[in-house]
Amino acid sequence: MKSREEEYKEIFVAEALEYYDALNRHISELERKPQDDQILAEVFRLLHNLKANAKAIGYLQISDVSHKLETAFSLIRNRELTFSDEVVTVLFDGIDLLGELIHNIDNENYGEADPVLLRNLDIIVDNLSDSTIELAKVQKYNTSKNLSLSDLIYIQIKKLDHLMNLVGELMIDRDRIISISRELNNDELQNVSSHLYRITEDLQYSVMDARLVSIGTLFNKFPRIVRDIAAAEHKEVDLELAGQDIQIDRNILQIMTDSLLHLMRNAISHGLEKPEEREKKGKPRAGRVSLTAQNDRENVLIRFSDDGKGIDLKQVKNTAIERQLVTADVANDLSEVDALSLLFEPGFSTAKEVTEFSGRGVGLDVVKNAIDSIGGRISIDSKQGKGTTFTLRLPTSIAVKGALLFEVDEIFYAIPLIHTEQVVSLDKDELHEVGSALVTDILGETVTVVYLHELLNADPSDMRLGDKRRLKGQVQNIIIVSYNNRKLGLIVDKLYRQQDIVVKPLRKPLDTIDLYGGVTLLGTGKVCLVLDVPAITRFYVNKR
Amino acid sequence: MKRILVVDDSFYMRTMLKNMLTDAGYEVVGEAPNGQTALELAKSTKPDLVTLDVILPDNTGLDVLKGIKSEQPDMKVIIVSAVGQEVIVNEAIEYGALAYIVKPFSEEKVLEVVSKALQDDTKA
Repeated sequence: MKSREEEYKEIFVAEALEYYDALNRHISELERKPQDDQILAEVFRLLHNLKANAKAIGYLQISDVSHKLETAFSLIRNRELTFSDEVVTVLFDGIDLLGELIHNIDNENYGEADPVLLRNLDIIVDNLSDSTIELAKVQKYNTSKNLSLSDLIYIQIKKLDHLMNLVGELMIDRDRIISISRELNNDELQNVSSHLYRITEDLQYSVMDARLVSIGTLFNKFPRIVRDIAAAEHKEVDLELAGQDIQIDRNILQIMTDSLLHLMRNAISHGLEKPEEREKKGKPRAGRVSLTAQNDRENVLIRFSDDGKGIDLKQVKNTAIERQLVTADVANDLSEVDALSLLFEPGFSTAKEVTEFSGRGVGLDVVKNAIDSIGGRISIDSKQGKGTTFTLRLPTSIAVKGALLFEVDEIFYAIPLIHTEQVVSLDKDELHEVGSALVTDILGETVTVVYLHELLNADPSDMRLGDKRRLKGQVQNIIIVSYNNRKLGLIVDKLYRQQDIVVKPLRKPLDTIDLYGGVTLLGTGKVCLVLDVPAITRFYVNKR
Repeated sequence: MKRILVVDDSFYMRTMLKNMLTDAGYEVVGEAPNGQTALELAKSTKPDLVTLDVILPDNTGLDVLKGIKSEQPDMKVIIVSAVGQEVIVNEAIEYGALAYIVKPFSEEKVLEVVSKALQDDTKA
């Protein structure tokens, strides 16, 4: 990764070259309109910035020459110096010298600036306007002037958003063209369309790449934040950061900022014990909080853990019963993982007291919603007395998602890969009717199975999700999805391929249908609905 | 977290200030390269504090200062200027700027002035 010094230097040089170009432009204009106050003010501003920036970064020769030129121009502004031919020549030379100095910042062999030129600048600056006649002819050293542009630009994120949207549209049309060229079976068209495929793919990754920032831009804010929260809570905290170089989409990082801050406040305020309490338990006085990032296939994994008191499952269950999220019977039967998942239910908060840093009312459901909104996943693991770990799996890009395509009742659907666990084919006999649901055993785990045909098409009054007789055929294709530690099997009619899709939001009035997260167009021109796994899971739980 | 708006026409200066401030735990809610953007951002982001460069491409820092103070008299403003602009700085203090920083600045100086300005509730 680039050090901050290198980054500063790049920015300094890029901006200095911009100033240099602007100075050249303005001074040529000044030759025609020597007393134009606006141009003079602009030249003054540019030199002023160059001087201040050069001084800040330590290029004293640049700041010195800029200073002399700035003084000369302020004299001209105040009508104390005439913009005569001789003066113009010296100023031009001075600006050229600035250009040379900027271009040769890395050149150790670049010698001293021409003393005659510096002397000429001094003559002007010391306001010896009568002696401008003395101005020696400085030999032009810039006979082989190079034209060069800065190689760093500064761009607004909304321009990149727009570009990403256009790429998305392009991908849809591309898939359509590929599909048509197959149907027409025209060699030439197929060649062109496969070339188009490669180019758009390259374009897609290039635009996605341009939007990436280091996760360190967010992580590095935490040392100070942790210090402040720890001080307010009278706790001692060692913060461990890793993976700052991992790259992620800028908008995703933006959306995750509040969530990570929230987890940090929770961890310090409620997770870590007070130093004395820790000592009694035989733990080091200072609690450890670690925030790490790593790449995992197409995703970024962020792990957030503390070595505090962990989550009290009993308390979680009690609170859930109190808040009428579950009945006492259900709560008692819940597995550890399922009980922890209750923490993400809306309105759940185990905080006993309100503190400055972790006010009441904002629970983990807010974090969960933020992660759902970008199509990510969060899971939680906690051992009482040992600590808590949150694992966040985030996509690297928002607009384009890997998805699994399938068909139910001759309609195409897609599920984002981030929610899919595995695909299995099971004989009807391996599905069992339990109450109003179907369940099966997947690698020793009991998983509820939903017949999508029934869920998506049956009349609500006649919906029988636990009725095996409604299944078609003997062998069932099942996609196992996972959300909030809950696994769900989805029975589909036909499985297709994995594909990158561009998800478009549903527009009114369809946006009120909860089960769909959006829509995409397939190459065949067919509309494909994107299932919202969090919504399906919730819907299914409500149905039961 | 205290929220700060950085106004400076140089990207380099803005970057340095932003890094120094965010490293110290402040939230930089916006960066403005000119006076007009500065006034818009001061209105829309409502920062706790504005660091204001006195020489800007479209108008002077003083105009921006007056604009901010006329609409949001409680907003804290500190001036960032170079050597030789004492006249403007004095004028700015008269118009309600709390303090000033002279370029080139050190990180310690910036943080000292900023944290003092943010603590000082009497003058705002």
